[in-house]
Amino acid sequence: MAVEYSNVKQGLSVAGGHSGIIISIFSTSSGNGKTITAINLAAFLAKEGYEVCLMDLDLQFGDVCDYLKLTPKYTLAEAQKDFESDPEEFNAKNYLTQYTHEDLSFSVMAPPKSIDDAYRIDVSAVEKIIEQLAGFDFIILDLQAVFSSLNLAMLDISAIINYVGIIDFLPSVKNFKVGYDTLIRFEYESNKIRLIENRSNSQKLIRGEDVERLIGERFSHKLPNDFQSVNKSVNAGVPLMFAAPNSPLTKSFEELADSYLQPQENSSTHIEAAEEQPNRSILSKFMGMLGW
Amino acid sequence: MVESDRVMLNTLSGALKTSKDFELLSTYRDFKSALGQSSIYNPNLFLVDIDDAEAFKTLPGFVEVFPNAVILGTLSEWNADFAYKAQKCGITGCIIKPFTPQDIVETINLYNKRGKSEPSRIITFFSPKGRAGRTTLAALLALDLAKKSNESVALIDADLQFGDLPIFFDLEPKHTVIDAAHDIKLLTPSAFAPYFHEVTKNLYLLSSPDRPEYAELVEAQQLVDVVRMAGHIFRYLLIDLPSGFNPISLAVSDFANINFTVAMINTGLEVAHMKRTLDLFKARRGHMHIDYPIFTRVNPCTEEQKQKLENQIAHHITEIFPNEYNLVSIANSGRILYGLPQDTLMMKTISKLADEIIAGKL
Repeated sequence: MAVEYSNVKQGLSVAGGHSGIIISIFSTSSGNGKTITAINLAAFLAKEGYEVCLMDLDLQFGDVCDYLKLTPKYTLAEAQKDFESDPEEFNAKNYLTQYTHEDLSFSVMAPPKSIDDAYRIDVSAVEKIIEQLAGFDFIILDLQAVFSSLNLAMLDISAIINYVGIIDFLPSVKNFKVGYDTLIRFEYESNKIRLIENRSNSQKLIRGEDVERLIGERFSHKLPNDFQSVNKSVNAGVPLMFAAPNSPLTKSFEELADSYLQPQENSSTHIEAAEEQPNRSILSKFMGMLGW
Repeated sequence: MVESDRVMLNTLSGALKTSKDFELLSTYRDFKSALGQSSIYNPNLFLVDIDDAEAFKTLPGFVEVFPNAVILGTLSEWNADFAYKAQKCGITGCIIKPFTPQDIVETINLYNKRGKSEPSRIITFFSPKGRAGRTTLAALLALDLAKKSNESVALIDADLQFGDLPIFFDLEPKHTVIDAAHDIKLLTPSAFAPYFHEVTKNLYLLSSPDRPEYAELVEAQQLVDVVRMAGHIFRYLLIDLPSGFNPISLAVSDFANINFTVAMINTGLEVAHMKRTLDLFKARRGHMHIDYPIFTRVNPCTEEQKQKLENQIAHHITEIFPNEYNLVSIANSGRILYGLPQDTLMMKTISKLADEIIAGKL
């Protein structure tokens, strides 16, 4: 559905000076809960009364529209095409799709419908489009799990990078560590990167604390495991606050959203790596492999 | 020895005449006289010049008349098309000129391990998104193929940013696919073989790099060159591709005999990804039938469920795999080489797939 944008407040938001805050959701593997995080974060911020735009930048296989059962008339592909043919007349807001459920509403920029179009998306056009969306209080970016020029540009303009991981599987831990080290090597401030552990309380063989020592940084937020509620939410095409209002996962997303409404802490969550490993566990061996 | 260039013929035959390991029976400038006259000697090794495309007309004749001889095609420089055609004709392999007697020994050893004198079977593993079980399938299938076929099997980790194969096998190989891609223009098959790390009997791995940004240094075409030369050295080549459509996953899967497209059932949205993927591949491949869909973590893992999924994607599904909880702990401990229970549905399905590949049914 195309959107009427008359109801979107223009200019500076009234809500506590939040304006054009870009929050990205990134990981080094798909299936880590990026889209679920992005949607529920958008939903809770919208519920607080903020104008929120959720951009699905997983261009080839983005799930935001399938999750929310949206059938967008326009996507990022049309936005880029029209921007390139007539930048003067271009208005990014005309290409958004509104998601509304009960009294909740936020905007979605859908990914291209065809993979060919996804291939043609240009980084500088996306940057210009996002510039035009600065009137929103919050812009949530759901990114693809890869280091690409688009993702790096998006991480550059983000105020906060939520770096999500499920750490139940050794290759995933390796990729989580490799991805984090890469972000630091690419000189993203560690303050800007928030480590989020998904399915933190599920049965698993690798402990969160071990991963924190491996990374040298604490998780700033832990999302509990609630696969059933997630499934309910996906099946119903509504955010968790409607599908499973009492789930601990729902509450956890609310807390995460609230954390952006408080002044952000500047103190680093950096922790010292363990000096020595008492047991030659898999993880310590793995640390060795990574040059620890 | 057949060599049309007189100077080269002198160089090569001179080296062979002084070697204790070889007895040079006869040299020829052209194929026809070689094929006609060689039978009086009963030779067990042919070194035949395949720089000229004309050679491919005569090669099948050599293979037919001397079925037990080792036949090496000699090339002035590496040429993937010619090397492929030569193996298609049924000859043992290729060697780059000029070569020493020692080079010949090494090359023959390489092909002895390889197995049948036929072009390789190239099997790629594509998934729309990560965490689909793609790498697990590639690793398990490679192990089973190596065990059953008794021919050489290589795994190439082409997931350049987040390749997991080294950690699956608990290895830290010296060479990576990045080195191979850089060096490929200068390599010959026998010089390239040591880039692969021997994982277990008949199974070799070309590892991914440990830093994602190194992926930037590799062009899709370089990786295609790596795949083509590796295909010449190994009888089965299994390639773990990066997730999604990108220059590398597209270019490399184009060279596959079998492209497994793998998606894991999680929230259910993955079924749409599979459909999208197959549609794109169908448009890209034309009449070539190389794409084989596989769903993992299917629950219940039944024929009925498979049909339901087939209806949803409007496409035949090659296999469905159940969830295998044990696999996570086994892979976590780097024990994938030793610790897999063979009686699980997961392993039985892998075994069936390997049998079908060996039998040429896929």
